[in-house]
Amino acid sequence: MSLLANWYDFRDLGNPVARLIEALQDAGLSGGWIYAISGLLGAIGILSFVGVAAVINIWIERRLIGRIQVRRGPNRVGPFGLLQPVADAIKLIQKEALQPDNADGIMFTLAPIVIFIPAILAFSVLPWGEHMVLADLNVGVLFLLALSSTTTIIIFMAGYASNNKYAILGSMRVIAMLISYELPVVLALLGVVLFAGTMSLTGIVSFQETYWSWLIFFQPLAFLIFLLGSTAELNRTPADIAEAESEIVAGFHIEYSGMKFGLFYAVELVNTVAVSAIIASLFFGGWWTYGLEEFIPGWILFIGKIYSIYFIFIWFRGTLPRFRVDQLMAFAWKVLLPLALINAMMVALEIFIWTEYEISAGIVLPIFAVVNFALAGVLIVGFGRVMSRTMERFPKLPRLVKDIDVPLPEPSTA
Amino acid sequence: MAIKTEPLVVNIGPQHPSTHGVFRMRVTLDGELITDAEMVIGYLHRSMEKLAEERTWTQNIPFTDRMDYLAAMTGNFAYCITVEKLAGIEVPERAEYLRVIFAELQRIASHAMANGTFVNDCGAWQTPLFYMFREREKILDLFEMTCGARLTLNYMRIGGVAFDIPDEFLPQLQLLVDELPDRFDEYDQLLVDNEILLMRSRDIGIISAEDAMNASLSGPMLRGSGVAWDVRKGDPYGVYDRFDFEIPVGHTGDCFDRFMVRMAEVRQSLSIIKQAMEQLPPGNHCAEVPLNFRPPEGEIYCRIESPKGELGYYLISDGSPFPFRFHVRSPSLINLSALKEMVVGQTVADAIVTLGSIDINVGEVDR
Amino acid sequence: MDDLGVVIAFWALAAMTIGAAAMLILVRNLMHAILFLILSFVGVAGLYITLSADFVAVAQVLIYAGAISVLMIFAVMLTPLSERDNSGNFLQLPALVLSGLVIAGVTFVALETEWREAGRGSFDTTAAEIGEALLSPFVLPFEIASVLLVAAMIGAIVIVRDD
Repeated sequence: MSLLANWYDFRDLGNPVARLIEALQDAGLSGGWIYAISGLLGAIGILSFVGVAAVINIWIERRLIGRIQVRRGPNRVGPFGLLQPVADAIKLIQKEALQPDNADGIMFTLAPIVIFIPAILAFSVLPWGEHMVLADLNVGVLFLLALSSTTTIIIFMAGYASNNKYAILGSMRVIAMLISYELPVVLALLGVVLFAGTMSLTGIVSFQETYWSWLIFFQPLAFLIFLLGSTAELNRTPADIAEAESEIVAGFHIEYSGMKFGLFYAVELVNTVAVSAIIASLFFGGWWTYGLEEFIPGWILFIGKIYSIYFIFIWFRGTLPRFRVDQLMAFAWKVLLPLALINAMMVALEIFIWTEYEISAGIVLPIFAVVNFALAGVLIVGFGRVMSRTMERFPKLPRLVKDIDVPLPEPSTA
Repeated sequence: MAIKTEPLVVNIGPQHPSTHGVFRMRVTLDGELITDAEMVIGYLHRSMEKLAEERTWTQNIPFTDRMDYLAAMTGNFAYCITVEKLAGIEVPERAEYLRVIFAELQRIASHAMANGTFVNDCGAWQTPLFYMFREREKILDLFEMTCGARLTLNYMRIGGVAFDIPDEFLPQLQLLVDELPDRFDEYDQLLVDNEILLMRSRDIGIISAEDAMNASLSGPMLRGSGVAWDVRKGDPYGVYDRFDFEIPVGHTGDCFDRFMVRMAEVRQSLSIIKQAMEQLPPGNHCAEVPLNFRPPEGEIYCRIESPKGELGYYLISDGSPFPFRFHVRSPSLINLSALKEMVVGQTVADAIVTLGSIDINVGEVDR
Repeated sequence: MDDLGVVIAFWALAAMTIGAAAMLILVRNLMHAILFLILSFVGVAGLYITLSADFVAVAQVLIYAGAISVLMIFAVMLTPLSERDNSGNFLQLPALVLSGLVIAGVTFVALETEWREAGRGSFDTTAAEIGEALLSPFVLPFEIASVLLVAAMIGAIVIVRDD
């Protein structure tokens, strides 16, 4: 009974699945069926996580933003307002799905559905535990980038199909912004990939395990660039110019109502979790936490890390005003891109030194960490100086005048 | 080789989250650049000036609440002071001081609202707005304590104020006056040092001092452009000549200057309130004025410094219990008239920020 | 079962690719045409996956579906509204003749070539090998291509400059 042998080892949900596959093999099933079944199990696991996360995140986000904004947030439906997302969903579902007269019907309906595909696919390559990964692609990082680039088209589909001027403005902004931000994000990840020497996310996590250090200690600059770049790619404040509530109302999804709007809302949260998960596995060791995963299941640690990073995104949203479109582009091209290039070159140099002179990792890695942190600090401060040269750092406060200095008009009597 | 593009005509408003009511701006866009803008007002027109001719002088006070509903107290103040001047009514000392206290509280509330929505227009996800609401709420509590209403107060009367302040009012006010400077220091740290806010609001929507004077702008719009003009100093009404305060004046006349002028004015208002609390005399809170009183025939224009600017009332009396003519010089409308010059050549995002920095109130624009 | 799965995937992807390509020339709305083009690109990426070329597949999605199509969207958005349809014109007949010739040529080659069947490969690290290949034996064409792209970029900037 190998099925029962180790099935309770939940430290890695790959274990019970492996037991199950063994049992199926014993039962004489062909490889294809087993492949299909294990894939289905993984898909169910991921979909249930995504579904629960999308619902819970609505609550988390609204509560936290509420805390930041000195109010309580939803607290009426269910304990602590936990059922608020359910109430929201019920409300959205029973609303009429309006469609503008001259909208492009098929594209209009398809866009909110299709936009979920890249969001969910992104979870398939993430390692949740040592054996707990649905598809261990050896081009995992590139796969994630490819997925994020397709989102652009779908958002444009939604904006174009709505036949609304605000929507067109929003979707043109999305395209311009995502194209600009793809470059620094790719280059930042290039640093990580070069350092770890692999594009597979499992490989990157096991690299961090092998050298007993999270990659953020070697790649602080890449982390910052990726964090800021992905804020823009996610359309979240301070880079939410595509939705820009106060300018173009809701941008590309202005015409969407009911559950179609709900899908856009949910996919934003799912994407945020996906990006948090990517950051967690690339820079914070994924499921590996300095041996702590022996006591607490790695996937729970991973989820903990995801939500810690998600909190940063919520924090951004609660505190920062929005960039203007051109300022956001300038930030990508003039700051993030050069920094990412310098970072990638630095990593290439370090890897060259490491492999060429065959220095042991114990000596060379701490030096790299120190050098990279120093470089990040110098570059950020230096770029800050250069960029703000045109602008006084501290604004002139209004001068206080004791008396009026314009000629007094005629006394206002009848 | 030029690429052929079409201008895009976009209606910003009348239903838009950042038009502060039902104001409509019809802009022609080249890409995101505004090449032409047309202001369309009148969606909230309630014909108050005409309606007022059918009501007695006292009955008209609630109308003034509903013009600038975010600064009802100064609306009351301006109207009452005009009628008193027309009829030559002496206002008791205590009422004058109470009026100053409430008008300045209202100014703080209105400026808090204006700055909160301004930062909201810059794209901050409503956080500053809620912080400002917190302070405004305390002021509205004080209003409620005194006159039972929070928004449309109808507190001032011809010849004084409707009610004297309750006993617990002054201690509460003292608490507020002690607390608010700290709070606004905090907002200074949060907002004024915020790089993104600076990027969004500096050198945006500039109006020069000359243009501002020629366009007859007033209030923080005028002072932001560097003109030190304040009706409280230049043409003192009530007991304002007894207080010691300063006029904050901006440098370039951009959105950031207007924002900062409002921030600084809050502190000046607090200092006026403090002085008024110290000097508050005992006595009657309202002069005896008959309910259907008839001012003598004549016409008058009288103005005060409302949070939005110079709020003036032009009244003609024919000796009847009703005004013959009731005209309002509303600062929102006149400040708004400069918007086109400020937004053409900017992007949509800047236009929204500029509109937010003018601090209009559509109730007062359309009346 | 193993082979059956690949065979099913191949036929499904082939049908999707060709169907999308056919729709691309049949629909009148240019925006729909672009979306069908993207679908066709994605189908081709799927075909690469059945061939165990995962790097090429992902690159196909990243570059063609993600970037090239955006360029096309820009091109369509910048053309005046009235011409946003696939309008007919006098080039129809030459185009028909030309495409007929191409189809004939491809069919001839496909029928006449002696195809050899290769065994199905496996998911190996293709990325590393492609990298090695690009940077050691094929470094010259690689560099020439990048110089060409830079030249094209500078040219584009020169063309759209205002003066």
